[in-house]
Amino acid sequence: MLPAAPDEWTIQEAAHLLRRAGFGGSPKDIESFHALGRYKAVESLLAPTEPVDAFNLPAWATHDQALADMKERQEQFQEIRRATRDLSPEEAEKVRKEYRQKQQRTERQHGIEAQGWWFRRMLKTEAPLREKMVLFWHDHFATSLQKVKQPVLMVMQNELFRRNATGSFKELTHSILKDPAMMLYLDTQTSKKGQPNENFAREVMELFTLGEGNYTEPDIKEAARAFTGYSLNRLNGTVVHNKRQWDEGEKKIFGKSGKFDGDDVIDLLFAQEAAARYVPKKLWEYFAAEDPPEEGVDALAKSFKAADFKVEPLLREIFRSKAFYSDKIVRNQIKSPIQFLVQMFKELELESPPQGYTVNAQLQLGQVLFMPPNVAGWDWGKAWINTNTLLTRYNVAGFITKGAQESSQLADNGDAMMDQEMDKKQMRVANLLDRAQRTWAGPDYEKIAPRPLREDPEKLVDSLVQRFFQAPLGGKERGAFIEYAVSKKGAIFTNKEVGELCHLMLSTPHYQLD
Amino acid sequence: MKTRRDFLRSTILGASATWTVPMFVERTFADLHMGARDLATQPVTGKDGTILVVLQLAGGNDGLNTLVPYADDAYHSARPSLGKKEKEIIKLSDHVGLNGAMPFMGSLFKEGNLGVVQGVGYPNPNRSHFVSTSIWETADIQNRSSTGWIGRYFDNACDGADPTVGISLNKTQPESFGAAKNPGVCLSSPELYRWIHGGGEKAQAEEFFASLNSPEDDDNPVDGASIDMPAGGKVGGIEGESNLAFLERVAMDARVSSAKILELASKYKSKVNYEGTPISRSLNMVSRLIAGGMPTRVYYVSHGGFDTHNQQVNSHDRLLGQLDRALKSFFADLKEQGNDKRVVLMTFSEFGRRVSENASAGTDHGRASCMFLAGDAVKGGLFGAYPSLTELDQGDLKHNVDFRGVYASVLEGWLKTSSKPILRGDFAKLGMIG
Repeated sequence: MLPAAPDEWTIQEAAHLLRRAGFGGSPKDIESFHALGRYKAVESLLAPTEPVDAFNLPAWATHDQALADMKERQEQFQEIRRATRDLSPEEAEKVRKEYRQKQQRTERQHGIEAQGWWFRRMLKTEAPLREKMVLFWHDHFATSLQKVKQPVLMVMQNELFRRNATGSFKELTHSILKDPAMMLYLDTQTSKKGQPNENFAREVMELFTLGEGNYTEPDIKEAARAFTGYSLNRLNGTVVHNKRQWDEGEKKIFGKSGKFDGDDVIDLLFAQEAAARYVPKKLWEYFAAEDPPEEGVDALAKSFKAADFKVEPLLREIFRSKAFYSDKIVRNQIKSPIQFLVQMFKELELESPPQGYTVNAQLQLGQVLFMPPNVAGWDWGKAWINTNTLLTRYNVAGFITKGAQESSQLADNGDAMMDQEMDKKQMRVANLLDRAQRTWAGPDYEKIAPRPLREDPEKLVDSLVQRFFQAPLGGKERGAFIEYAVSKKGAIFTNKEVGELCHLMLSTPHYQLD
Repeated sequence: MKTRRDFLRSTILGASATWTVPMFVERTFADLHMGARDLATQPVTGKDGTILVVLQLAGGNDGLNTLVPYADDAYHSARPSLGKKEKEIIKLSDHVGLNGAMPFMGSLFKEGNLGVVQGVGYPNPNRSHFVSTSIWETADIQNRSSTGWIGRYFDNACDGADPTVGISLNKTQPESFGAAKNPGVCLSSPELYRWIHGGGEKAQAEEFFASLNSPEDDDNPVDGASIDMPAGGKVGGIEGESNLAFLERVAMDARVSSAKILELASKYKSKVNYEGTPISRSLNMVSRLIAGGMPTRVYYVSHGGFDTHNQQVNSHDRLLGQLDRALKSFFADLKEQGNDKRVVLMTFSEFGRRVSENASAGTDHGRASCMFLAGDAVKGGLFGAYPSLTELDQGDLKHNVDFRGVYASVLEGWLKTSSKPILRGDFAKLGMIG
């Protein structure tokens, strides 16, 4: 067990826990969270009162509708087959192409809706740790809409993560083997007896359970044989183990021999020492800091194994530990793009993001929900930041804090260069952006920076610093903000000027840290 | 000696956004004269320096269907449905030919400006995309290095250069740019590569922005020697740098490079048409920046989608076709500008694919593959030997050229620097350049 911190805590520590185990909050949110005391606050995160189904799924993603859609698709497919039977190959191809395009349009639309649905859920949920764990599992068992292509399957997987958010990692891994989206993503559904596809076997060892160096190439080859025979029924989205396509022969994996199937292999994986270390280390890195010391990982691995791979006790240990609140960890993690966006909305007390804007912002910042770059998920930490993404963060913050006044700027400078090479996809994004920009009003600055506060630039700055950083800043930054605020305090300190001050605060290296 | 921050601060940060490139170049030279004690230090010029473009084929390019051993029966029997027939390829020799989707590369070969390296790999290859990519990008087959081979080139040979010595046209920074001092910059669209203020009194806001985005400790050389909390510098970072110091440095590099890049990129318009594919657009941007006179020595672009486990034929041919057309436009554009003699382009991929096709008409992760070097300065031809298709290692081609030998050839023959400190060893050059 990691040494625990006392129940009593500071408001800074409360803000830290709410940022890391959730997406931060407004000054009021943090105050009431702090009032619970450390232990109760941790329990409130681990056992939220909000039910798992508190948010309605998009209509097309509900079980019955999804089933009906799949059936309809199948029927349409057959109908097209009938209809094209007597056509020339060219005409038939044209009909098929039209159908495919229609299908793709629908799916693209659903994909955007799914992304918006999950993002809003992160923003509004009363169970922030659950959503943060869903994001963790999404990164861990990374699956991308780009290959899976069916948003409904991605939402099903997302719900699987939510139901198992803090449950057993072992059970979740068993489920992911038979998860339709994962099967399509790692080609399990085309892997057959005599001709195994190694994709899932390799990634389940390297990326999901053990990590590089804890298995051999023959282990992968043999496991791939065991993972054959799982097939996805595209009519109802269920997965069955088809014994005829399964390689029922003897396999030798991790020195053990048997007529293993996929579930057997997963049990074998969890019998390996490395399985107890792999996810605890990743969880510490996700919630606390990179490169944890060996002893820390040892302690967590021991607890994880004792809890039979249940995640909840492990999280409790992390969030109660003294180490989690140490100076080296607090305000020293680089925000992921999703964290940056959701937290900024919460700090600005915004109820919902501007239409269509957040998906584009995710794309520019390098983290699009349901679209991790590859099966290893996203690279975290410093990898989020380079000259390009940092400037983009600043500009995203500018738009959110200042609203529609930005639009002409963004539109102007691109035109001359972009018309030549802008493809249709960019065009669509640009149009979406344009619409967002015309209608986005920005935050309610009367609430965030009440008029009386604006009389005293120093107080105004300190209040905003508390809102955005939840900790005192270095003298240089604070001084610059005050100087700026003083220069703005002419005859009248308008909302526009508060917005500019906020933008300047968010356009700093410090704001990228949590 | 001045630190890099001192230098940047005194020359650029003090000047307004309208400073010109020649002035910048001149000052770079002045600074180098002062500090050039190391003979390996190279001046960076905006006019006639040589330029390397590194093009990543991400996902593991199938070398066998790129450089096809069409005369080998073993090829056709291992790939009954994926194999390319003799009439589908562009013959380079009695044994091998290019995938038919690459006519431009074929003509480049005939003109003697395409070097094709066969059977490239490294000892004890790793079939993980991530580990293998990392090995290629760090040029460290133990995969322990926290700097990349290009980053070490910047550190060793481009001391005092401004951050745009390396430009990656990616949203994320490639691991090969990881450096102890200068990891280059990264951008995806020059139009948005700047701080957009958009409110009233722009100049004043920008001044505050500038001061908030300059590092505080101007007096400390950026050598990472005494930082108490090392945070892994594996991706894009600098070794041993805290997260805050890292952010401050990136913020300054962004400010310093953004105005210049935006200005230069908008100045030049290609007379050549490019396709709308991402790889074509990236190369178009590279060409505009070259035309504008950036002091950049290495550009990095990426062409993804090569992880062809499933139904490979269409997707692989399509990807190679996109590559071929992008290169055709790019080299025509460089010629039009008069910069064709300054540029060499090198491709790489993390590994090749298995010799035999799998049941899904795709190929699984393999080992040795091929690399291309293109440009006026390249001595064209086939280099290395094509690996045997019958003497395999676990179903894979055995490599006979170490990729670090190709890097050494490029570093010494083209970038004119000693490769030993960069590659941390001596690797035989192949003689296709320099």
